[in-house]
Amino acid sequence: MNQMTMSKPVQSKSRMKVDPITLQVIRGAFETIAEEMGHVLYRMSFSSIIRESQDLGAGLFDTDFNTLCESESTPMHIGSIPGYLRGIAETLEDGEWYEGDVVVHNHPYFGSSHTPDLAIVAPVFVKGRLVGFAANTAHHVDIGAATPGLIIDVPDVFAEGMLFAGTKLYRKGEPNRAMWNFIRRNSRAAQQLVADIEAQVASARLGAKRFVELIEKYGEDKVFGAAGQLMDYSERLMRQRIGDIPDGEYVAEGWLDDDGRNRDQRLKVKVTVRVEGDGVEVDLTGSADQTPTAYNVPFEGSTKVAAYCAFRKLLLDAATSDVRAPSNEGSFRPVKVTAPLGSIFNPRAPASAEARFTQCNRMIDLILRALAPVMPEQVIAGSSASISFAAYSGVRPSGDYWVFLEVNEGAYGGRPRSDGPDSIDNLMANTRNNPLEDLAMHIPMICDRYELRDDVPPGAGEFRGGIGVVKSQRVLTSAFITHESERHTDAPWGAFGGQDGTVGKCLIYNAARPDEAREMPSKFSGLAVEANDVMAYYSPNGGGYGSPLKRPARKVLEDVLDGFCTVEHARAAYGVVVDLDAETVDIPATEALRTRMGG
Amino acid sequence: MARIGVDVGGTNTDLVLECGKGVFYHKVPTTLRNQSIGVVEGVMALCAKAGIEASDVETIVHGTTTATNITIENNGSECGMLTTEGFRDILHIGRHKRPFNFSLHFEVPWQSHPLVKRRNRIAISERITPPTGDIAVPLDEDAVRAACATFRRRGIDSVVIGFMFAFLNDAHERRAREIVLEEMPDAYVTLSSEVANVMREYERFSTAAMNCYVGPKTAFYLNDLESRLRNAGVTSKLRIMQSNGGVSTVDACARRPIRILMSGPAGGVIGGASEGEMTGVANVITVDIGGTSADISTIPDGTVKIMNPRDTYVGGHPVLTPMIDLVTIGAGGGSVAYVDEAGGFNVGPRSAGSEPGPACYGRGGVEPTVTDAQVVLGRLDPDMALGGDLALDADLARKAVETVAKSLGVSTIDAALGIIRVINNNMALAIRSNSVARGLDPRDFSIMPFGGAGPLHGVALAEAVSAKDVIIPVAPGITAAVGLLKTDLRYEHTEAVIVEIGASGEAELGRINAACALLRERAKAELDADGIAEAEQRIEIVAECRYRGQGFELRAAMPEGAVTAENKGLVAESFHAQHELDYGYAYPEQEVELITLRAIGSASVARIAIPEIAATDGSSTDRALMLVRPTTFDDGRTLETPRYDRRKLFAGDRIEGPAILVQHDSNTLVPPGYGAEVLAHGNIRIRPLGIA
Repeated sequence: MNQMTMSKPVQSKSRMKVDPITLQVIRGAFETIAEEMGHVLYRMSFSSIIRESQDLGAGLFDTDFNTLCESESTPMHIGSIPGYLRGIAETLEDGEWYEGDVVVHNHPYFGSSHTPDLAIVAPVFVKGRLVGFAANTAHHVDIGAATPGLIIDVPDVFAEGMLFAGTKLYRKGEPNRAMWNFIRRNSRAAQQLVADIEAQVASARLGAKRFVELIEKYGEDKVFGAAGQLMDYSERLMRQRIGDIPDGEYVAEGWLDDDGRNRDQRLKVKVTVRVEGDGVEVDLTGSADQTPTAYNVPFEGSTKVAAYCAFRKLLLDAATSDVRAPSNEGSFRPVKVTAPLGSIFNPRAPASAEARFTQCNRMIDLILRALAPVMPEQVIAGSSASISFAAYSGVRPSGDYWVFLEVNEGAYGGRPRSDGPDSIDNLMANTRNNPLEDLAMHIPMICDRYELRDDVPPGAGEFRGGIGVVKSQRVLTSAFITHESERHTDAPWGAFGGQDGTVGKCLIYNAARPDEAREMPSKFSGLAVEANDVMAYYSPNGGGYGSPLKRPARKVLEDVLDGFCTVEHARAAYGVVVDLDAETVDIPATEALRTRMGG
Repeated sequence: MARIGVDVGGTNTDLVLECGKGVFYHKVPTTLRNQSIGVVEGVMALCAKAGIEASDVETIVHGTTTATNITIENNGSECGMLTTEGFRDILHIGRHKRPFNFSLHFEVPWQSHPLVKRRNRIAISERITPPTGDIAVPLDEDAVRAACATFRRRGIDSVVIGFMFAFLNDAHERRAREIVLEEMPDAYVTLSSEVANVMREYERFSTAAMNCYVGPKTAFYLNDLESRLRNAGVTSKLRIMQSNGGVSTVDACARRPIRILMSGPAGGVIGGASEGEMTGVANVITVDIGGTSADISTIPDGTVKIMNPRDTYVGGHPVLTPMIDLVTIGAGGGSVAYVDEAGGFNVGPRSAGSEPGPACYGRGGVEPTVTDAQVVLGRLDPDMALGGDLALDADLARKAVETVAKSLGVSTIDAALGIIRVINNNMALAIRSNSVARGLDPRDFSIMPFGGAGPLHGVALAEAVSAKDVIIPVAPGITAAVGLLKTDLRYEHTEAVIVEIGASGEAELGRINAACALLRERAKAELDADGIAEAEQRIEIVAECRYRGQGFELRAAMPEGAVTAENKGLVAESFHAQHELDYGYAYPEQEVELITLRAIGSASVARIAIPEIAATDGSSTDRALMLVRPTTFDDGRTLETPRYDRRKLFAGDRIEGPAILVQHDSNTLVPPGYGAEVLAHGNIRIRPLGIA
């Protein structure tokens, strides 16, 4: 079902050649529109997963579903909307678009990223003719799935909650009241869900309005001519960088903990990167078969998006590159993604495929690992390459649910020129945390600890791995917790002589009896907990880059003083002898020790 | 009685003096190491120029980048922090969002340049419980004393105190300060509940930490400046421009230097707003174009807007302090044009700065900049820059622009036009994001371009955003300094009061009214301390609200007098309207939740009176004609274009484009099809011909 065909022939767009100066002018306009759409959406929205975490994407698209521009919000959304648009083309109510329509769509077997990410699409008409789409996606707190907020251990896609495919929320500008009522009755967080869909509609309509203004100002030929050239530009940039990688086949493997039900079965991820000239293929053949739980990755909306993301980070690094690539379809074209149907990265219907983030992040980490031998200056050591996605929920005395989704951060691997950043969203993830005080003022929960992990060190190296987080959230009433995480068994890899990082862990205990902690698997569903129970999440620490014996002793001392490293670890891993009372390095002892260790 | 405005920029220190004899302007080079040296020099020179004694100066208003520069150069104080056990790393984790989506080699400013190093963030056992603010775990006072011993050992004398939920109950923060001051009597101490008494731990802690980071050095600078002025015989009051567009005292700014982190650009915005007032134009968009960046601010109805507190960042750190709403983009005279590896044409944000500067400066720069393009197009005369003080090399400009022309396969003139078009477009987009995207229609606004380079871009920007017309200030090169003499005193205080407006009863309304009374008292105390008579004091309270469940507040108006069951609906109505304005949508059915109350205390200060210039006697404007040279305009036409000396123009004079109006540090471009009209004070309005 993933090999979808276009429902209508590709229009032959007039590809007017636009001069480079006008091109730059129109590019600026596209980017401003996308940012404005994203801004309106997250500022207006009610659920913290959208307003704080900014788990959303927004942009403009042509009638061939090419991305013309997209907001800089969360990478997992960037590049996912064309999949939705292709799915809508197959399923659209009435079989056609009318001016004033607004569609909602989330069916994972019709191109969605995963079901909680609802797309809202407004068609853009100029003089009565469809010329493109303004669309956005956002993660919703609860769409009536089997367990509140998140799901893992479920039988199939129908347990994921409401499935929308080409469903019109507005037809010719008139609301489809039956559908709005249906939505309102089928969520544990209906007020947030409905208000956030309204915010999405406002954002899509704004985008459509701005798109029309742009076309009125420059003319359709020029706008689409420029859009085409901007895509070619992104493609050219990407191909040039791919061309610099030596041709060849590069392979890396890793293991996922389990599928959330069958605890003793690790799942293989195998990544083969084939570089040929200025094109690259990411082949996931050899990865685990699809799982019987929700731990699968929708191919169109997630697997492909993650592969694109990996190469954009690696080849068009926004922090170090002089050139800023426009966010459009062009950068995806040189990257081919292959995953056999029936595998964890391309499941067959009706398998559930909601819990897909950690597999994506792991794929990116393994792409970097595969390419490490030929790109030592560009790759970084193993990152947490996971996520901690927790759904806390409970029933208020009124009978209403409260549901809170929390994304916890990870840590980066050491890098060729700097340490891995600590406790920060990793690879595909880039959300914001929820202010702990805001949370405690509004939900029966309180945070007991939010700090850097100090129970185990990060991977030692000339550039050390990043330090993971520890976050302890306590519920004040009985509640349910679902947790989607990874990396309790397979530690982030050290690179070029750097040491491996450390695995993550998750404890549940009652605040009164912290010694009786239960160590939890990385994924669990709908766990019932009592008042004052705490979930403490420890994210993995990143791997090191380069030999720890090459790390300047001065930096090791700084780490010891800051508590990033113990005196014992400084000696054992780095060969550095620190006098903690004097806050100095014992230089002769360090030189002697490092010589003995072979530095 | 004389008053002086002093604006310190990266290159020049601009001064303006107003006294009985008139208004005088002066410029001296900025003394980068200690700005006060240049300030004192400039003040003395300006007094001499005006022929007055230094002791005649009654007030000096100062815009300074001292505090800002500390954050750019990362050379603030080594700070210590006392914080709640379990939350030692709030400042290290921040909001856990990366600065870039697509990057592996990014820097995390709050980790690589922490305001407080981890070794100096000491966790103390204490706990305040939400939502009541009750004390669950008492403050461990011995631990506070032990931390002070560590700080003393490490030579630290700047201490941040930030405890969780201090916005509900500040007792622990206050007690900790007492202990710190017992242990370290000279310490510079900042409480999170004092600088930003609002919910959201990271932003509050970061604000307090920033205050301690820039505090001691800024305080030293301000006090040093004051004593240097005294030693030079200047006995005037010294006032400092704050980021919110109001002025404050040296004492207050030394205690709360976070209030002056945007002191520099604020003067420009206020200056622009007052030029608007002078010309009877209420809706103004100011565009302050410097060498590397442009600051853009939209001023509807003469009211300078304040940024949403969620958007106020300095050096990558959130700082909750009111700042004028402006966008800064990397577009200025020094912005470099280049063609990238994939054939894309870019102008900025990279800048040639002042060293080496544009190619035409002849200081070794070879890349073409916006200034070079202006020279190539004949809009800047190489022999007349800064009144002839700065010789520009037209050949070097042309050679530099030729390099991009070749890559683009166009003529040198077309490349120069392209550079101008792209930089103007970048600014126009920023204008849109600061106006259209916030529900304001630029068609109702005048573009006010300033900074030396501003008036070359004014008309193009007005065209790009469909603005009504262009107003060129009297002295575009020093508008910010003039703005300093037009600002009021302005102090702000906040209190966290989390109440659902619709559901509120007697008790909740009582809390709101009590907080309002407290806030009024605080604002009044500050104005009293400045010697402002009660009748002159204005205190306004605004309610920062959101829909229950949202995360971002917007400002709503509060009713006059106490909030009651009868009038509380006005707050919600005002909020719905603001939401509609900002986002184009409102949820009238949803409950509105008050989060923060803010008091703004202000008092008017005598404003500089820019004298009117002589009215035209009907004689030909040829009296101001300097010379005629070819100049290329945006439509590609190269026309013989007269240059007029602005000093010789009279109020009421009209000049048709093509023309360039020349003054010491600024050229105003009047393209064909436009007319310029000299207004009463010497400001100039430009609009399409054929409009009355």
